[in-house]
Amino acid sequence: MPDSALSTLRARTLFAPLHAGGRAETVTRRLADAIALGLLLDGERLPTESDLANQLGVSTVTLRDALATLRELGFVETRRGRGGGSFVRAPREHGATRLERRLRELSLHELRDIGDHRAAIASAAAKLAASRSTDRDVQTLREHLARLRAARTTTERRRADARIHIEIAATAQSPRLTQEELDLWSAVGDLVWLAVPVHEVGAVIDEHDALVDAIERHDADAARTLADRHITTETERLLGLRLELCEP
Amino acid sequence: MTVAREREQRLLASIARDVADVLASIATLREATVEVFAGADAAGRPVDRAALATLHPLIARLLRRHEGFAAGAGVVLAPDVLADAPRWIEWWWADRGSGIERLAVDHDPDSVDFYDYTAAEWYSEPERTRQQSITGPYVDYICTHEYTYTLAIPLIYGERFVGVAGADILAQQVERAVVPELMQLEHVAVLASGNGRIIASNTVLYPPGNVLARHEASHELLPVAGHGAADDPVAGISLPWTLLAGGEVDSIRGR
Repeated sequence: MPDSALSTLRARTLFAPLHAGGRAETVTRRLADAIALGLLLDGERLPTESDLANQLGVSTVTLRDALATLRELGFVETRRGRGGGSFVRAPREHGATRLERRLRELSLHELRDIGDHRAAIASAAAKLAASRSTDRDVQTLREHLARLRAARTTTERRRADARIHIEIAATAQSPRLTQEELDLWSAVGDLVWLAVPVHEVGAVIDEHDALVDAIERHDADAARTLADRHITTETERLLGLRLELCEP
Repeated sequence: MTVAREREQRLLASIARDVADVLASIATLREATVEVFAGADAAGRPVDRAALATLHPLIARLLRRHEGFAAGAGVVLAPDVLADAPRWIEWWWADRGSGIERLAVDHDPDSVDFYDYTAAEWYSEPERTRQQSITGPYVDYICTHEYTYTLAIPLIYGERFVGVAGADILAQQVERAVVPELMQLEHVAVLASGNGRIIASNTVLYPPGNVLARHEASHELLPVAGHGAADDPVAGISLPWTLLAGGEVDSIRGR
């Protein structure tokens, strides 16, 4: 993978220039957060020290300081020589632990509100996609569905699922709805599949199947209803898990 | 020929010329890219990212030349063509007012943000047909984040398909060019893309983005110019678009 292939999305999150004091500390925290959130993936090579310092808007001295701390914390590993560089070492966190930590960051009210927002965007996009889809659009959606069905890990499912919803918004011919889906998936997308128990995976995939079927039939009302119900079910699942965390 | 028919054909010929101008610039970029391949071959070196970076001044010139019309341009390499990257995009976009920026996308198949450009219509069509393609309008959520057309020309080195050279045009630029002309027509007029999507019209009954075939037949629309028209006036410039005409417009709000 090329060094500079940090996506625009991650670049925006990671590389907003720093302004306040305690720069090495701020850089350390920001990189550690990015690794913990999975924005930087395990084994991924960081850009060169000068590139990274440049992108973060700090001196190489400050960056080296931060990298030294991250190495001590076990977040980064530096290898010398050919093929060397600084590599991300994600802490091995069990899916359930990660879900719990993420859920604790959000209140029940926030979770419900995010669910409402997602449902509003997804159902509007589904309705418009049903009326504006061409055969080619449906074919693209089916390819992502096949990827979702073939997926074996939570990360793969999340990726395919995100692409289905983003493509539905693109099929609606709306850059604004598409941007909303992109933003929502980058903010809370990791939660969606962490919360699905193994025995329900097939059912959740079937919900996507039914939604794409409705889009293919150009049945706008059905597509809207199915999308709304699908997101509502996901939200209820997350709310249920969040409530369990409140049990004494 | 009636005044309306002449006006319709002028309209389509004018936008076809705008598009053809950009295609000509892309053809220049294609030539330069093929030369990069030939130069590397002659020197016994493989083509790598550094070799492609030499195209930057030419891409910058293309974007300056078509400023306000082409929003992005560059070359996209077929998988496993470059020596030092399995997949690569050398694409630049014009940032409003502040020069041009390189598009960074995630080429790692294992990443959540992985972008598989080989599945995009603007890549797969030229790959399949070995002909230039005009894709869109579509929502480009990778580069422009806008409603976009992508023009692409296949890069052929020897007999091998090694990628595409292309440019993005924002849908609003095409709209700006054609709608004032459409508004001068007294009958319902709809410009549609090759897959039947409405590009522009002169009535709210046919809003852009909708699929023509799925519209209630409130007007009988017949192709009058462009692709699919009986008397194709712009055959020389192969724009896969059709201008369709219907009954008189009583008001902008139709009927």
